[in-house]
Amino acid sequence: MRIEVKQNILADNSRAAAANRLRLLESGVCLVNLMAAPGAGKTSTIIKAIESLQGDISMAVIEGDIASEIDALTIESMDVPAIQINTGGACHLTATMVTQALDHLDLASLDLIIIENVGNLVCPAEFDLGESSRVMISSITEGHDKPQKYPLMFREVEAVIINKVDLLPYCDFDMENFRGVVNSLNPSVQIFELSCRDGAGAQNWCEWLAGTVTRSRATHSR
Amino acid sequence: MTGWRSAGFFYGEAPVHEYAVTEGILAIVQEEAVKAGASRVDEIVIMIGELSTFVDESIDLYFAELSKGTVAERARLVFNRVEARADCLACKAEFRPLSALYSCPECGSPLCHLKEGSELYIDSIEAT
Repeated sequence: MRIEVKQNILADNSRAAAANRLRLLESGVCLVNLMAAPGAGKTSTIIKAIESLQGDISMAVIEGDIASEIDALTIESMDVPAIQINTGGACHLTATMVTQALDHLDLASLDLIIIENVGNLVCPAEFDLGESSRVMISSITEGHDKPQKYPLMFREVEAVIINKVDLLPYCDFDMENFRGVVNSLNPSVQIFELSCRDGAGAQNWCEWLAGTVTRSRATHSR
Repeated sequence: MTGWRSAGFFYGEAPVHEYAVTEGILAIVQEEAVKAGASRVDEIVIMIGELSTFVDESIDLYFAELSKGTVAERARLVFNRVEARADCLACKAEFRPLSALYSCPECGSPLCHLKEGSELYIDSIEAT
């Protein structure tokens, strides 16, 4: 017999993501999903945000890695709550994993949770986690051709951070080409040039992030 | 700082995103088979948008492993690609994006709405 099914295979993830989104909206917490390739500087970019916003904005971090607690320990050492998720091989976080992490955070006391997704430019873009905002990092050493090679992620984010700009003199990175392709894929995207090493551009990124939290609060109070 | 504690979660071996997709397929198929009172699933028709990043061979590979001992153990997976369709938001032209790097072929605008081509769903199953 033929059974008509017509059912979305990732429906479970979409439902869990919607539940996360509602829960965070009710608690007035802004959730930012930070995605990038391994080594692009996700943890360093989060550290810059903590250094700049700690005291004004109450933050927590959810760390996604295949293995190890290195990143969570780094964040904890800055007196910021950190939840480490080890995916055991999976190349992305799912909404259910984030639900479990949220269970361990005091949402009422938080303004902002940053998710550091598993280092990968492909899969994380396919899985909604219930975030209010998606941000990605592309670093100078990865080359300027990444928007052409991984267009889905560049299309899906609100902001692109170009990290390691202090290395521009040593790399053949064509900034004009990179920006041109990113803008053609995603005309409304915010682009931030950043060097986590020397702090250049950190203020712009942190101000934007603070603004995202403020906008999220405004939605909550309405 | 007090009032919070760190926690860690460990999930078992689950490489690449097709694994999660294959688990989703099996869950739906098993549920449908029970509902229909079927003892064996022979074929599963899966619709994948041509611009989605999921790889058929990878799903096949995980399916062979994950379906062992289930009602769908020897089922054949049929993958049908859904042709991509997009509307240009600027000039309203409708077109078929040929890759994920699409823009309107008429006016060149990148502001387009992809209405078909990113699907991932089970269309039907053949069961006994």
